[in-house]
Amino acid sequence: MTDTTDFDFEAEALGYMDQLYAAALRMTRNGADAEDLVQETFAKAFAGRDKFTPGTNLKAWLYRIQTNAFINTYRKKQREPKRSDAETVEDWQLAAAAEHTSSGLASAEDSALDALGDDEIRRALSELSEDFRMAVYLSDVEGFAYKEIAQIMDTPVGTVMSRLHRGRKLLREKLRDYAAERGLYERTPVKKDEDGGVCRA
Amino acid sequence: MPKPECEEALDRLFEYIDHELPEEEIHRIGEHLKECPPCEAEHKINEKIKRLVNRTGHDVAPEDLRDRILMTIRAARPDVGGN
Repeated sequence: MTDTTDFDFEAEALGYMDQLYAAALRMTRNGADAEDLVQETFAKAFAGRDKFTPGTNLKAWLYRIQTNAFINTYRKKQREPKRSDAETVEDWQLAAAAEHTSSGLASAEDSALDALGDDEIRRALSELSEDFRMAVYLSDVEGFAYKEIAQIMDTPVGTVMSRLHRGRKLLREKLRDYAAERGLYERTPVKKDEDGGVCRA
Repeated sequence: MPKPECEEALDRLFEYIDHELPEEEIHRIGEHLKECPPCEAEHKINEKIKRLVNRTGHDVAPEDLRDRILMTIRAARPDVGGN
């Protein structure tokens, strides 16, 4: 027989299997790769279980292992084009200030969101670039705190916030597009100000 | 142009939704949202998107994945391999 600590580790870690699988699906965007990734994650977790301190955050620890495994094994294979969008905090702060939409538009958007299907929400998320997609996923689905996401993604908290801001902004744009395609929402044309410059209304 | 209170609320909206702000700021922004319909509309939309992403984000692993994981682990650990 094995000792109690080991046994608990196995049971507790396996308790996160579905969650890790759901996250792996968002990373790999492919069921077979997601299964392989989760298997690899558990193999690595068990091989390195002595490095885990009982009483600390096992879930975040497992996600960190999975993120590393994904980067090392799968990302190369997937050849996702490297994102060109620059990520600066100033950028999203500026963008956020401009986002005070008229109440009519906002309520149309609000109801359009209710009419969108689950598949459209999933598709919109899957179309975000990997860093944005995973930041949004870890926050919205798994409810990780910014600090935990920073540990999992091995990046400063400021970068996590920037990824969340930009990722959610893009996600919202996509949902607006889907709603507009289905005639649920009318997109505002890009307005030009008197100087002919583009105004981000 | 939005007022300074609006700017603060909109800048901090995601942190507000994610419960990442100190108590006093949550309170201040919460008060502003109550009296500013355009900011509250933004808040509601972003919160709704967060809920939608949450609702559609949970998948269940295939039935046999657990068995395959256990086999992998136990193969690597002869001490628990024999049941």
